[in-house]
Amino acid sequence: MAQAPLVSERLCGDLQQPITALAWSADGEFLAIASAGGELLLLDFRAGCEELLRGEHNSSLDVVGFSDDGQFLMAAGQSGELLLWELGGTGVRPLAMGPMALGGGWIDAAAWQPDGLLLAVASGRQVRLWDGALRQWREDPLALPGSVQSLAWSRDGGQLAASCQGELTLWRPAEAPEGEPPLRNSIASAGLALSFSGPGHHLACGLLDRSLLVWPEHCLGQPWQFSGFPAKVRLLAWSDRSGRLAPLLASAAADSVILWTQINQGAKAWRPEPLLCHQRRVSGLAFAPGSTFLASASVDGTVALWNGKGHLLQVLEGQGAGFNNLGWRGDGRHLAAGDAQGRWWLWPVTTPAAERSHARAGGGFKANP
Amino acid sequence: MAFSSPVPAAERLPVTVLTGYLGAGKTTLLNRILTHEHGLKVAVIVNEFGEVGIDNQLVVDADEEIFEMNNGCICCTVRGDLIRIIGNLMKRRDRFDHLVIETTGLADPAPVIQTFFVDEDLRDELRLDAVVTLVDLLHVQQHWFSEEVQEQLAFADVLVLNKADLVDDAERELVEQRVRAINPMARLLTSHMANVPMDQILGVEAFELERALSLDPGFLAEEHDHEHDAAVSSVALVEERPMDLEKLGRWISDLVGSRGPDLFRMKGIIQLAGKDERYVLQSVHMLIDGDFDRPWHDGERRRTEFVIIGRDLEPDGLRAGFAACVA
Repeated sequence: MAQAPLVSERLCGDLQQPITALAWSADGEFLAIASAGGELLLLDFRAGCEELLRGEHNSSLDVVGFSDDGQFLMAAGQSGELLLWELGGTGVRPLAMGPMALGGGWIDAAAWQPDGLLLAVASGRQVRLWDGALRQWREDPLALPGSVQSLAWSRDGGQLAASCQGELTLWRPAEAPEGEPPLRNSIASAGLALSFSGPGHHLACGLLDRSLLVWPEHCLGQPWQFSGFPAKVRLLAWSDRSGRLAPLLASAAADSVILWTQINQGAKAWRPEPLLCHQRRVSGLAFAPGSTFLASASVDGTVALWNGKGHLLQVLEGQGAGFNNLGWRGDGRHLAAGDAQGRWWLWPVTTPAAERSHARAGGGFKANP
Repeated sequence: MAFSSPVPAAERLPVTVLTGYLGAGKTTLLNRILTHEHGLKVAVIVNEFGEVGIDNQLVVDADEEIFEMNNGCICCTVRGDLIRIIGNLMKRRDRFDHLVIETTGLADPAPVIQTFFVDEDLRDELRLDAVVTLVDLLHVQQHWFSEEVQEQLAFADVLVLNKADLVDDAERELVEQRVRAINPMARLLTSHMANVPMDQILGVEAFELERALSLDPGFLAEEHDHEHDAAVSSVALVEERPMDLEKLGRWISDLVGSRGPDLFRMKGIIQLAGKDERYVLQSVHMLIDGDFDRPWHDGERRRTEFVIIGRDLEPDGLRAGFAACVA
């Protein structure tokens, strides 16, 4: 492919410990990066500054995220506490709220509601909800029969999915407690990854038993089941660009990434396309917002960029350390990744025209640091 | 199913599994491990924070949740939350160099052991060093017939007979004898207040094939007529004639196929016909691992020694099946 490279420059910086999680604010102004040493770094691109919100605490942080309106930043991990900061916008020092102990052990799954202010936190065998509008916990947690392995919100924020060994629960917490009771689906193994599509409202669940379940539009009816993966299916990503029948779905199991296209209805509805590049476990997987342009990160020390047909467009390398995660900025033009040595990377990316539909507007960065 | 990882053992983190019935002294031993000056940074996974040094950032808590991988067969059970917690902990790997996992007093040790061989991530990142079982010398006879006690004894690589100060020699010897009848291959230590040399319980490498067998020499010498007073027992097989690997392999895979849930541990050093190297073999339920080891030394007695620990074993049938594997 004799094209100009999509990526030709980068920014990077270092934390002391391996990077465990990173998240962009919805407006793309902030990037938060957490480490296995408990550090939390906040990059403020408009102000062109960065602030270490939490230094090394010898207690890992494993999940981080901004509320959809940009008002709050959350982080949680080994201590089993939820940490929250109130953000005052660019250039304003975030205000730390008191840590809240949940008593359920190590927290590695938590997610803010899209278009809302509810924060779902997996703590042991419960999903707890913190209501950012009221600044308090909802009274009734969702109880699961096993430790919660994964949770995900639907793109409209109306539905929350949580999975454990043997069960996948769908809940509409905004309507609780008066609304319908949670819908409990029994599954054959442990659900390790959950993801809702935007267009069509499909749900995909990656399982420990090396299989993948995909529910049809609006999660109605029986799921398709795909098996024969080389390992547990631990990462899933949906393109948010509509497909003919469904958006593109990507799955990762061990070193193998598969791109799934729905080609018809019925039993053999999905066509798998293996994406060959990574030598070791894939640790991050995401479509650029508004496109079918896919990025995958691996502990082999590479990030691969793919088009919607599954062609490898470019391979990015760091400093040799394995990558632990990646995340696209909302504009689909900047990709961040964190590695096992504690270095974070930021690449401005030129999305190929064919992969773009109507990319959202998004400003550039002030170069930093 | 072989349970060795393609990743060399030296690159994997050693794990010690600590079991023992309620009150046997696990917490005391854990606190010793955490405070002892052994030069190792040890991370500990407990099932609930109790009296173990909780201010230590390397003590973490995991739900003792069992995942059935395949229709509830014991051979296919793993500890699910352990996979999640160790996955998180391994991102901090440079902070510690040994992992100890405490199980509850009433837990079957099999799922936790199997987790390290079945799970694709843990298999390549960790190596099971040893199963250490604490035995309460004063009270163990009261619980002797509990399934948990027998399983914990059966799976052990190191047996620590604790509270030795509270019993007399005759009592201790009686327990020793009963313990040996169940598990003749574990290293036997005696302690007071769980005070044992750390190098005897950490860094044991009991699951490394080259260290596979350290049989109590007396056990094989005497044609043992220990009272088989429990459902769990052991059978030691000795054969002076060289064996045939193909026959042996077929016999063992048939055996685990039909009796897997009842076969807790097997270990053997095999003399194969026409080979100058020892062949070593071990199993946990249905997981089997075998490979060639070092050459037989000059003057070393070349023979096959094979120990089976399990429930409701039929020694005669096992002896006959084993004898049929002679080359």
